[in-house]
Amino acid sequence: MSNDDEQLDFSTVIASTVHDMKNSLGLLMQSYGQLLAQLPPAAADADQRGVIEYESMRLNGMLVQMLGLYKLEVNQLPLRPSYLELDDFLQAQLARHDDILRARRIQGSFEVAEDGLMGFFDSELVGSVVGNVINNAIRYTHSAIHLSARMDGEQLLISISDDGAGYPQAMLDNQSDYALGINMSTGSTGLGLYFGERIARLHRRNGVAGHIELSNQGALGGGEFRIWLP
Amino acid sequence: MIVYSNMRFLVVDDFSDFRSSVKGMLGQMAAQQIDVAANGEEALNLCRKTRYDVILHDYNLGEGKNGQQVLEELHHEKLISPHCIFVMVTAESSQAMVMAALEFEPDAYLTKPFNRASLQQRLDKLVERKRLLAPVLDALAREDQAAVVNACNALLQRDPRLAPLCQRYKANALAVLQRHDELEQLLQGILSQRPLPWALMKLADHLLQRGQLDQAEALYEQSIEQFPMLPAAFDGLARVKLARGETLKAQVFLEQAVKISPNNPQRQAELGRVARTNEDPERAVRAYRQAVTLGRHSAFRNPEHHLSLADSLKVQAGDTAPNPRVQLEIRQTLEDLTRSWKDDQGLGARADLLQADVLRRSGKQADAEQLLRNAGDKLANLETFFSADTALAVAEQLRELGRGEQADQLLGTCAEMYGDDPAVMAGIAAQTSNPSILHGGEEAAARNREGMRNYQQQQYPAALEAFRDALARQPRNISYALNTAQSLLRLLLSAPDDALLTECRACLAQVRSLPTSDPRHARYRKLLEKVDSL
Repeated sequence: MSNDDEQLDFSTVIASTVHDMKNSLGLLMQSYGQLLAQLPPAAADADQRGVIEYESMRLNGMLVQMLGLYKLEVNQLPLRPSYLELDDFLQAQLARHDDILRARRIQGSFEVAEDGLMGFFDSELVGSVVGNVINNAIRYTHSAIHLSARMDGEQLLISISDDGAGYPQAMLDNQSDYALGINMSTGSTGLGLYFGERIARLHRRNGVAGHIELSNQGALGGGEFRIWLP
Repeated sequence: MIVYSNMRFLVVDDFSDFRSSVKGMLGQMAAQQIDVAANGEEALNLCRKTRYDVILHDYNLGEGKNGQQVLEELHHEKLISPHCIFVMVTAESSQAMVMAALEFEPDAYLTKPFNRASLQQRLDKLVERKRLLAPVLDALAREDQAAVVNACNALLQRDPRLAPLCQRYKANALAVLQRHDELEQLLQGILSQRPLPWALMKLADHLLQRGQLDQAEALYEQSIEQFPMLPAAFDGLARVKLARGETLKAQVFLEQAVKISPNNPQRQAELGRVARTNEDPERAVRAYRQAVTLGRHSAFRNPEHHLSLADSLKVQAGDTAPNPRVQLEIRQTLEDLTRSWKDDQGLGARADLLQADVLRRSGKQADAEQLLRNAGDKLANLETFFSADTALAVAEQLRELGRGEQADQLLGTCAEMYGDDPAVMAGIAAQTSNPSILHGGEEAAARNREGMRNYQQQQYPAALEAFRDALARQPRNISYALNTAQSLLRLLLSAPDDALLTECRACLAQVRSLPTSDPRHARYRKLLEKVDSL
């Protein structure tokens, strides 16, 4: 909408293309869903179905993340925090992955430390971080994914754990490098951690900023991703 | 378990595939009454006929209105009850649009693509929340603001954790009730916990309205520091600067607000207005052009934007004739205006005068004369008289175009209607020295003041006599007619009398041409209601 004759820089070109890609993907998945509804049950339950659904969720997550990173870069990512009920928030995150969890027979569960626990954060942004972590966990877990939320001192702590083999030791050792964007060599995982850390840090209160952490001492024995929000 | 079978749903999206896919999901949730619409216009038409319980509206519908504009229009036309759940469906999250939607926020945003489980989880939660808030929403639907406050307090007492849900309703109600101290206390309390964007804006606007410019300014600045994409904060800073008379700085802030959120016609028009004050016709033209284009699909479509665009285009050309391209734009803008508001003689006259001026400058005297005659005919048949400001501007234009006599006539009416306001009289004196216009109302004004003194001392019959006399001298004066009607009403309330009632009705009938923009319009409506209830 700008009237200025500014020349487009390449990151803007990418961002607007990613935006279109995301819309295309959305349409693609809708059409796919309709096609599926018309198929006889035997054909609709094919193994490829899970692959298509999982990979499209993953693609969508990556595109959202990429747009988010672009906006962070040009300082256009507005933080829109509001009061939220944690059980509502966690339930919504699981609901987004409901089809895949059921198709893969993964047990999805959540718990909040106290009834009616409230948080104050941007649900879209933190939701996209948690969504990406769930997506990743679906790939590596054995049979279950568990979300939990509790207060850790003055900060809200949201954890996502699975019963898979856990994060590789090298990743745990170097997690601060990933989070700070120093080590991007492992591609999307590194980028995901960087994104998570940036979103966590946008949330601040009284000079304290949020952060993330990886661990293999999770509630289910596998990997655990933790995000603190002040 | 929430029952969806008896709720009415509306799904709005420009893609038929998406509509049927959402319809399918709702069907799986046992919903039975599901209407669909492909664009905002269709959606509004459906809402005029049916009260929906849940509206799922896509934000970006391509051509035409976007979801936010539809939501604003639904509120504006009162087609949406506080109980209705409005979910904005978006292709991408966290856009500037979210921040731009501070005033009319949807109940939730849902990002595409979503599955049935997500949709149901969202709706379950929203239905539950609206049920919890039912006493507040009932009071809101009745527009009983005091009851809104009471209902909020009752809920808060029962469960303090409901505070985030209630506070905003309470703050809005307190603002309408003008319970300033309570409002300020509530907002300060909220902000001492967390910097909520809506609470920041509400408090800053409140301080500005109370004339506490420094405090308001500091709060707007603090908001921008924390939420740089909040256009309302830049609007606020512009209003602070305007209040201080720093119009150049105001323009800078409005430019920033427009950059963040370019799709609001009122904001564009405000920028245009300030740019004109700053004698920056180029910027004014661009802003008004946007205001007109954006207004096309908006409830806030305003003929003044058309007139201002045409006028700014003329001003931009300076003393010379506008070039053919500009002339074309002026003509098209004014044609669009007269087509869209064809029953409004006043607008038609103003469009004719502007066009006549442009034609005169380009040497087409005969055509200009014809339009001037048309304008004169329309001015003679006005149903609703202009506001004082507009009357002054039109009179000035008439004089410039060599129609001094018509200008004086207009000023005469203006003096009679609004002459009790010294600022209006000063504006008239700047244009004419005609003594019958300038001093014709002095006797009536003196009688009116006498009436007001009597009224304050509760000498109602004496007040009535004085007001009657003032009104007889200047039958078109709004204040005199309202004052006469009010003192008649006073007497009627203690002793019914058919003759007085007829007179009271006649007084109010004289005022019916009062523009709705006039600050006295509310008083007029209230008096009318009371008389009708007798």
